[in-house]
Amino acid sequence: MKAASVAAAVRSGQRRAIDVAEAALADIAARNGQFNAFTDVTAMRARHEAAAVDAAIAAGRDPGPLAGVPYAVKNLFDLEGLVTRAGSRIERSSPAATRDAFLVRQLRAAGGVCLGALNMDEYAYGFTTENAHDGDVRNPHDPARIAGGSSGGSAAAVAAGMVPLTLASDTNGSIRVPASLCGIFGLKPTYGRLSRHGSFPFVASLDHLGPFAGDVTDLALCYDVLQGFDPEDPAQQHRAPAPVLPLLDQGIAGLRIAVADDHFAQGGMPECFAAVAAVARALGATRRVTIPDAARGRAAAFLITMAEGGNLHLPNLRTRAQDFDPGTRDRLLAGALLPASWVLQAQRLRAIYRARVLALFEEVDIILAPATPHSATPLGQAEIEIEGETRPIRPNLGIFTQPISFIGLPVLAVPLADPGAVGTPGGLPIAVQIIAAPWREDLVFRVARALEAEGVCAAPPTGR
Amino acid sequence: MNDTQRPAPDPATYAEAAAALLGLPLAPAHRPGVEMNLRLAARMAALVEGLPLTPADEPAPIFVAGRAAP
Repeated sequence: MKAASVAAAVRSGQRRAIDVAEAALADIAARNGQFNAFTDVTAMRARHEAAAVDAAIAAGRDPGPLAGVPYAVKNLFDLEGLVTRAGSRIERSSPAATRDAFLVRQLRAAGGVCLGALNMDEYAYGFTTENAHDGDVRNPHDPARIAGGSSGGSAAAVAAGMVPLTLASDTNGSIRVPASLCGIFGLKPTYGRLSRHGSFPFVASLDHLGPFAGDVTDLALCYDVLQGFDPEDPAQQHRAPAPVLPLLDQGIAGLRIAVADDHFAQGGMPECFAAVAAVARALGATRRVTIPDAARGRAAAFLITMAEGGNLHLPNLRTRAQDFDPGTRDRLLAGALLPASWVLQAQRLRAIYRARVLALFEEVDIILAPATPHSATPLGQAEIEIEGETRPIRPNLGIFTQPISFIGLPVLAVPLADPGAVGTPGGLPIAVQIIAAPWREDLVFRVARALEAEGVCAAPPTGR
Repeated sequence: MNDTQRPAPDPATYAEAAAALLGLPLAPAHRPGVEMNLRLAARMAALVEGLPLTPADEPAPIFVAGRAAP
C-alpha cells in the first residue's frame, strides 16, 4: 500500500476512505501479533476521520493531499483521548492527551486517517525496541530479529505493509537505525524544521521528529504536509515551508557528493561499508571527505543525552525507579548524576564541531555514510564482534548516526534494494545515510529519488 | 592534568556522594548498572575534553529572550 496511490484513488472517487480504513484495521488485527508494532489501535477515530474525508469528497470539497491515507505514530505523539505512554509503564497512569500533537494535526488536516500508536524503546532511550513493558518489536524481514529503535514499531509497521506512513522521533538515530534494519526510507529533518510540540520529549537539545515511508514519493508527500510554523515549539525556526515533492525529479547533475571516511569507515561490519560503496558508485561519487572530530561529537551527544534524559526523569527516578525498563533505568540514573562540567563542555564542543562540519559544505553538497554498523541482530543478543573486538549492540548501533544528528543536519536513510548483494547475512536490509547542509532537505530527497530511479535503493520485499 | 595523569575514576564513591547531594536514592540492585554507565560516561568525557577549547567557544544553545511569530 502506497500513500500516493491511496490518496489518488480516494480523491478520484475510485475508493472510499472508510473502505481503505476498514481494510487496514482488519490487516492490523490479523498481523500485528507477528510484529508487535502497534500498542494502541484507534479504530473509532480512524472510522470518524475516514468518514469525514468521504463526506468532504461527496460535498465537492478538497479532502487534502493525504485523503484517506492510513498512518500511525510512535506512542510518544499525543493523540487526543489516548494516554501518551512513551514506551513506559509510568506514563500509563498519566491523563489522556487533550489535543493531538502538532504534526498529527497537520496529517489530519491533509486528510490522513490515524490508525494508532506504535511500540518504542522506553522514553526513546534505545536502539533495539526491546521493551520490557510492551514486548519486543519483531523485524518484518525476520521476526527473530530486532527492528532497531527507538522507533522500532514505526519502522516495522511500514516495512510489514500495515500502514504506508508513520511518524517517529530521532534524537541520536532513532529514525535512521530502524529504517536501516527494517529496509525502509526514513527522514530526520534539520533540527528546528518540524514542530515537536505534543510529543513526549527526551533530550530537548537533540530531539527531532520525522516520517517513515516505503518509497521516496510517499516520504516527500508526508514531509511536505508536516511542515508549518508552530509557535508552541521553542526550538522550531522561523522558516517558510519548503516543499520537496515538486523538486524530486530535478536530478543530481552538478551536486558534489562525497563519502565520509575516518570514523565512518571503521567500526562496522563489511556490509555497511559495501552499502555505502554501492550507493556512491551509483551516484558516480569518488571523492572522500573527513568529518573532523566525529568520535568526539558522538561522545558529546552521548553525555548531553544522558544528562538531559536523567534530569527530565529525575522526579520518577527518585520515587519509582523500579518502574522503569531495566534497559533504560540505570543510564537515566547515571545521567542524573553527571558532573555539570562534562555536559557544558559537550555543549561547547557542539558549537565548534558544528562550525568545522559546516565548513565542509563549502566543498561538497552531499555526504554519504553508513546508517548502522550492521544489519538486524537476533532479539536478546547483547554483543557483537566487529573488527575482532566485542562490542555492546545497543549503544553501538548509533555510532554512525549520533555524530550527524548532534549538529542537526538533515539526513535521509535509504535502504539498499538488494542488500544481499552487499553481503548482509541472509539478505537482511541495510541503509545508507544521505546527509546535507542544514535546511537542504531538498538535496537529500533528490539524491534518494535518483537512487530509487536507478533501482539501487528501494524497500526490499519482506516475503509476506 | 592530562588523561594519563588523571586518577582512575571511582564511580561507586562518586555515585553515592552525588546521589545523596541530589536526593536520589540508589537501590543496591541498580548500583552496578549506574557505576558501569558512569565509567562509560567518563570515557566519553575524556574524549570530549581531548579537544581544546578557548574562552570564546560558547555552548551551542543560544537563549532567545523573545521571538515574534513569522
